[in-house]
Amino acid sequence: MAARTLPKTDVVIVGAGWTGLAVAKELSAEGQRCVILERGDYRHDAENFGGPEEHDELKYARHKGHMIDTPTKTLSFRNNTSETALPMRRLGSFLPGKGLGGAGIHWNGQLWRPLPSDLNMRTHYTERYGAEILDGMQVQDYGVSYEELEPHFDFFERVCGTAGQAGNVNGEQNDAGNIFEGPRSSEYPNPPMKHSPPQKIFRDTAASMGYHPFPMPSANVTAPYENPYGAQLHPCTYCGFCERFGCGYFAKADPIICIYDTFAEEDPIEIRYRSHVLRVEKSEDGQTATGVTYLDQNGEEVFQPADTVCLNSYALWNVHLMLVSGLGTPYDPETGEGTVGRNYAYQTIAAAGVFFNDEVWSNPFMGAGAMGMTIDDFNGDNFDHTDLGFVGGGYISANQTNGRPINYQPTPPGTPSWGAEWKQAVRENYLHHIGIVCHGSSMPVQGNYLDLDPTYTDDYGQPLLRMTFNFPENDRRMSEYLVGKAEEIARNMDNVRAVSTVNRAAEGDNYSIVPYQTTHNTGGAVMGTDPSTSVVNRYGQMWDHHNVFVFGACLFPQNLGYNPTGPLMGLAYWTIDALKNDYLQNPRPLMDA
Amino acid sequence: MPASFSRRAVLLGLGASGLAAGAPGRAAAQNAYANLEGTPWFYLTDAEARFLAAAGDVLIPEDDYPSASQVGVVDFIDLQLASPWGKGDGLYLKGPFPDGATNSQGYQMPYTPAELFRTAISRIEEAEGTALADLDAAGREDLITRLSEGEMDLGEDIGAAAFFQELHSIVNEGFFADPIYGGNKDYAAWDMIGFPGAHAYYLSFVDQNVPYEKPPMGIAHIPGTRRSASLGASAGAARPANRTEEG
Repeated sequence: MAARTLPKTDVVIVGAGWTGLAVAKELSAEGQRCVILERGDYRHDAENFGGPEEHDELKYARHKGHMIDTPTKTLSFRNNTSETALPMRRLGSFLPGKGLGGAGIHWNGQLWRPLPSDLNMRTHYTERYGAEILDGMQVQDYGVSYEELEPHFDFFERVCGTAGQAGNVNGEQNDAGNIFEGPRSSEYPNPPMKHSPPQKIFRDTAASMGYHPFPMPSANVTAPYENPYGAQLHPCTYCGFCERFGCGYFAKADPIICIYDTFAEEDPIEIRYRSHVLRVEKSEDGQTATGVTYLDQNGEEVFQPADTVCLNSYALWNVHLMLVSGLGTPYDPETGEGTVGRNYAYQTIAAAGVFFNDEVWSNPFMGAGAMGMTIDDFNGDNFDHTDLGFVGGGYISANQTNGRPINYQPTPPGTPSWGAEWKQAVRENYLHHIGIVCHGSSMPVQGNYLDLDPTYTDDYGQPLLRMTFNFPENDRRMSEYLVGKAEEIARNMDNVRAVSTVNRAAEGDNYSIVPYQTTHNTGGAVMGTDPSTSVVNRYGQMWDHHNVFVFGACLFPQNLGYNPTGPLMGLAYWTIDALKNDYLQNPRPLMDA
Repeated sequence: MPASFSRRAVLLGLGASGLAAGAPGRAAAQNAYANLEGTPWFYLTDAEARFLAAAGDVLIPEDDYPSASQVGVVDFIDLQLASPWGKGDGLYLKGPFPDGATNSQGYQMPYTPAELFRTAISRIEEAEGTALADLDAAGREDLITRLSEGEMDLGEDIGAAAFFQELHSIVNEGFFADPIYGGNKDYAAWDMIGFPGAHAYYLSFVDQNVPYEKPPMGIAHIPGTRRSASLGASAGAARPANRTEEG
């Protein structure tokens, strides 16, 4: 136990990102005293993310100035249990954040909702195809439906001033939007983004092939906008410094400008920076948590008692915190027993690269994180999976997001990776290329999981989280199918002189922690209605400790073909709603185990 | 480190042995740190600088546009290795470092970037017997090719291909990064590809199928010129202490 115990608070919140700040905003309005413990520092869009200094590719995109420092916090990794996990010594495949706003600062702003059938995936597939289509996979229902979450997806889209074109408002379809989406209660708050010449070609080509292109929903705002909390956002300038950067234009919705800035002085919220939470403490009877022990900014170990404990750190670190605290039962991949660390999943990424002749200018340095032209014809169960040999899917999208010169050097197939020929190819193709990404789902299997590393420790002497992951066969087949579709569209586009493809989940290739793929790590503390296969119930409340609520993508039973921020924020507001309107008046398990 | 160091002499030494396509003076003339002439490298030895210039120019040779060394990539690397990044900031370096790491597991060498470059370069030059910069063009290309394919023994704790990745990465960064870091002199790399830099506002251009004609402007652009202010005297500083002084 810590040397010093602080005065008790109503709610302690671990992490000051999207979900943590939303919890504080909403629960403080109910009179709850909220203490937020944030590992990193204070920072602000106005003070820290302004151009041109922010537009420093080396500092932020290469050296990852806004992200977690691996010496402070990392994990170990292996492809399977026969290997020895080794530390992720520097960032690569995914980029967790640190500091006020968390990873919500350096996201792209691609703001999606799940499909209704994503949320009851096991039930849906079983009814349509029979249960055997899910054999070998630990696919589960979320335990909460699209209809229940819809108001919360809608609210978060308004928090962000989301720019998009609805495809289904209250059941009325509009072909200009995503006709596959679940019914939404209102239009997007702002009109869709502009699109570059290659994106228009993608749109017209996809439509001519019978697909249903639409503008990617974007939290890069397209008009002056005031959100429901009173925050002011400005139109995006298409500066091209989005992912891995903060937005000094107040144009990319982030937790600081959309939520933190709307805290009023009288709100009972306190944020403590440089506060590294070591563990959640449990009561003697084990039914509840009593608070959290953390290292404060002086390095002193202190105990913060609280009535309610909210875990709002990055998906992976929430799971780590549970494991080092002894919350829940760790998953055992041999027996399949236990739940903490179970159903870790990722994102299955492939892409087609389109090389145009000089008739088409992409000017890739102009762009925005969520400037995309997308089809959803091969996402989720929007297409018939009979005899395909896989479940799930993903969106296929011509994105023009981050065309900066070090990280964006497209060259046609067959080009060497250095030397005179490479140099010539970079020069000829930079202004005439677009990538078509296949953003695929990720299914949980028994051997992909998170636990604690037996050898390596972090700066605080705690064992590292250990990740064991490789692409399941299902997802390899899915990804091959998707990239084939993307390539077909690419080859049908006009003025194309070459097409390349890359598939991270190609047969024979192991998942690698090195090349950036997505910061969409999911699962490990999944939600559900059965305590033997979920860590939290359908409200995000821990089965084992009813005053611990868990937030973020760690809740996803399997990963979607969409980016996680929209779905996880819908879930966050759903949990907040349960706290505000039920739990806080009568603290107890909200579901029977 | 030699007291009578001359960056110009080091790079001219390369030119004399046939580097930079018969333009022996050009590397020095275009060096972003001409104002640092007569001062020592911040981290590198002369031999390391020559290796990096020669290796850099194999990876990014001169054509209609300058080579790596001609745009200051050696200065960039020197400054990077002397910076907190070079000293291992952001790199988890706790052991053990067991054998059998897979490619999927990424960087597993027990060295900071600065230590890695020092150790690997010395092992390469030792193993080869002749300094890279003293080989002819074909010899340099061959050595770098073997390095990239892992066909070289750099000891148990440094994989040749793994070191090549680090080398390739830092040369590429130096060529294309903002000129405040010492490479990309006079926006040479950005001119080459058509990247207009850090002052970015494209609301009225983004949907147009036309070339964007404005010349590049970096973070520390000097108005009215095609130049960026370059780095101040201290290694690791990210930008000049006083931009107006140079503008």
